[in-house]
Amino acid sequence: MKLSKVIISLLHGLPTTLILLAFSFIFANLIGLGLAWLYLRRNPIANGFARGYLGLVRGTPPLLMLLLAYYGLPKLFLLVGIDINGWAKLIFGIAGLAIGWSAYLAEAFRSAYLSVDAGQYEAALVVGMDTKQAFLRIIMPQAFLIALPNIENLLIGLVKATSLVYVIGIVDMYSTAVDLSNQNQGVYQLEIFVILALIYWVVVLLIEWGFRRFRKHYQYVTV
Amino acid sequence: MLLELKNIKKQFKNNHVLKGIDLSVEKGEVIAIIGPSGSGKTTLLRNINFLETADSGSMLFREQQIDLAKPTKKQILWARRHMAMVFQNYNLFKNKTALKNISEGLVFGQNKSKTEADELACQALDQVGLLGKKDFYPSQLSGGQQQRIGIARATVLNPDIVLFDEPTSALDPELVGTVLHDMKTLADKGQTMIVVTHQMSFARNVASRVAFFSDGEILEEGRSDEIFDHPQHERTQQFLSAIAEDY
Repeated sequence: MKLSKVIISLLHGLPTTLILLAFSFIFANLIGLGLAWLYLRRNPIANGFARGYLGLVRGTPPLLMLLLAYYGLPKLFLLVGIDINGWAKLIFGIAGLAIGWSAYLAEAFRSAYLSVDAGQYEAALVVGMDTKQAFLRIIMPQAFLIALPNIENLLIGLVKATSLVYVIGIVDMYSTAVDLSNQNQGVYQLEIFVILALIYWVVVLLIEWGFRRFRKHYQYVTV
Repeated sequence: MLLELKNIKKQFKNNHVLKGIDLSVEKGEVIAIIGPSGSGKTTLLRNINFLETADSGSMLFREQQIDLAKPTKKQILWARRHMAMVFQNYNLFKNKTALKNISEGLVFGQNKSKTEADELACQALDQVGLLGKKDFYPSQLSGGQQQRIGIARATVLNPDIVLFDEPTSALDPELVGTVLHDMKTLADKGQTMIVVTHQMSFARNVASRVAFFSDGEILEEGRSDEIFDHPQHERTQQFLSAIAEDY
């Protein structure tokens, strides 16, 4: 087997990795936003639920979270009469990662919201905005910029965590590399994993570049 | 009478910050509120526009009676849309340009179209000589420029009354003049204002009336020359003589 073939085989797994990354990140953000919102409520039930969720999820290893999603979600759905056993493994991979990352994102959002200067909210009210407008136009954009470095870190962490989906049998870049290495009787073993590392590294570089561009665009917004 | 405050009381835990404030403001008047730090001056302003809720007291504003301890959401929004405030720390929206800082209130507080709001905001910037900075973010502006935009943001709304909360206290001394100049221009145009200030020359020369605050009460109130030349209360005399400024 030639080295170029190794690269091509590994790149075949890249779309799966990217799909996992994109969708789990989107859902993690949505769940994280909801959780942060619940956490910030004064309502003890909402607040208690968010705290409980955060504690449980942050205390669970990501690998275990994937297994729990894969074996647990179908059972959970069956309780309400929905059979999701036939769903693609990819969906469970996305669910496991999204649940795992949602807790960290929730904390990033919550802490960012709390660190927006209170004067900004007051100024928005004083010019006649209602509380919703003040939140959407003034507080949320600033909180987002404050949360950005954390979000970037979490996204980069997630890139690497996608490799864990091999435990539920999803064929992504990482499991392709492991297969190749097993099939090749030790030939190119190191090279395969070096190439794999380089591909992950390029993905991370692209993410960093994107965030840098974004930050540059808002360089004068000092929050 | 544009604004009449009656018996406003506010306490934070055991600290009685306002001990029954009465104050009335006629249209076109400039009221300066002076007094030592921590005497409740800022809290009074914050109670008038509901950034804080008074424990008791009432406000008659534009002939509407509002219970300051139990205002409805509608009353709060209505009152805020007829008054404006300038903050000590400017509080310009950090994520908005100078222009948008001014136009935002016109769009969301007064339902003007974006184009119209931007036009009015440009005019307002032009009036304070900062049109060239319209696309700058607050972090790119000096404190003086930020505060002048803060004043433009308040006055562009055409409010019945503008509340100034120590507008020059956070500024470099050499930038104070430009901001006071803008405020004087406003006063000359007949804008009704309540100004909490430590600038005694402003209080003396621009304000029509001065209220001296001490320990949550208005100890003395009157025409500015009366207060400055013939303060009646011992505490007022003490305060004024302790201030080094040559007013």
